Amino acid sequence: MTREEIFEQVKAILVDTLSVDGDKVTFDARFQEDLETDSLDLVELVMTMEEKFGIKITDEEAAEIKTVGDAVDFVEKRISVA
Amino acid sequence: MSPILTPHEVHERLTSQAAGVTVRVAVDAAGGDNAPDEVVKAAVAVAGERLRVILVGAAARLRELLGPQPSPYIEVLDAPDVIHSDEEPVKAVRSKPASSLVVAARLVADGEADACVSAGSTGAVLAAGLLYVRRMKGVMRPAICTLMPAVPLPVVLLDVGANAEVRPEHLRQFAVMGQAFATEVIGLPDPQVGLLSIGEEPTKGTPAVIEAHRLLADDPSINFFGNVEGRDIMNRTVDVIVADGFAGNIALKATEGAARVIVKEIMNAVTGSWRAKVGALIMAADLRRIRDALDPEEYGGAYLLGLNNPVVIAHGNSRARGIGNAIRTASRAVTSGLLPTIGERLAVGSHGVAGESADGCG
Repeated sequence: MTREEIFEQVKAILVDTLSVDGDKVTFDARFQEDLETDSLDLVELVMTMEEKFGIKITDEEAAEIKTVGDAVDFVEKRISVA
Repeated sequence: MSPILTPHEVHERLTSQAAGVTVRVAVDAAGGDNAPDEVVKAAVAVAGERLRVILVGAAARLRELLGPQPSPYIEVLDAPDVIHSDEEPVKAVRSKPASSLVVAARLVADGEADACVSAGSTGAVLAAGLLYVRRMKGVMRPAICTLMPAVPLPVVLLDVGANAEVRPEHLRQFAVMGQAFATEVIGLPDPQVGLLSIGEEPTKGTPAVIEAHRLLADDPSINFFGNVEGRDIMNRTVDVIVADGFAGNIALKATEGAARVIVKEIMNAVTGSWRAKVGALIMAADLRRIRDALDPEEYGGAYLLGLNNPVVIAHGNSRARGIGNAIRTASRAVTSGLLPTIGERLAVGSHGVAGESADGCG
């Protein structure tokens, strides 16, 4: 899966599950400040990413994911190891 | 203003069963102060042909409580783990997939139950609802909605604690959901919606409330009365009151606390002297009517509005009657037009424009 494809999937999760405005979703967008998500939204995002990509994310790892780019990087690293 | 219904009629509508439809309600049998005994009693009292109950908890104990001839309408599902009220809700829900609450929520998520009821900690039920049952498409934030006992009829109040801080658009969505609850579940035709604030004028309140006033006024699908204040709750100035979770929770607890004190003082007064006791006997029926109208157990519990399926949070200290009412009202929420109405009204776009639907006001 390319980075672009991962990005599109993460964006789709944000729009469909968290009702985030698609136009605001960029690589550099910060979850809290730019996309106005709260801690519960982030847990939902992490859980949906786990399901979608078939990976596991610990609470510590999730705490490090601050931007959309971070999420894409994380997934890319995880699925290339699989 | 809506035509008068008696509290009894409200209760009947809240707990009515639709003909020809079977509803399955998953019940967290380990949640609440009186679990599992009172939960089992409640299930036995309400389960029937059209209302199936799935009790989720420590199976051995549940079967013991159900006795040698258990109802064919009650199923038992084993879930040995329990989420305690002092655990951090999100962590607990994520790390205890075998807990009675999570298993019950997952039954709904997987389509094996139509609704879920728990008397467990509100935070945990909210987390389980959000993470498993999930928000309906278009809903930005779910709201905890309660019926405020008021005379002569209850008032719908939301949000009473799911979101401490909200944006104006969330308040608009709460108004849409609260109005749908009032029409579809209680059957109040054309309910009026008020926005809780600190003054009547649209300029009063926090920036979010002031902006929300504008959004609610501009939305053609909302029968908007305007701002209401704390004292308007029990006065029934409107049928539905919208607030953020912080103000809503304070309003709820202040009102419940005051009602409790007043009832207690009246009870003290009527048992004070011979003269008072005689007077109380004469007034007994009237006093009972007021006490019943103010009894939270009468209306079942708090509803998580905005999820894909109904989730009802019964009061932690509920006994069988309160839990039974919660189960019945969860079933009523399933068979009423609540979910499709919310889905339709919130999918029309964030500015309340009616789009293709024939009449925006339903």
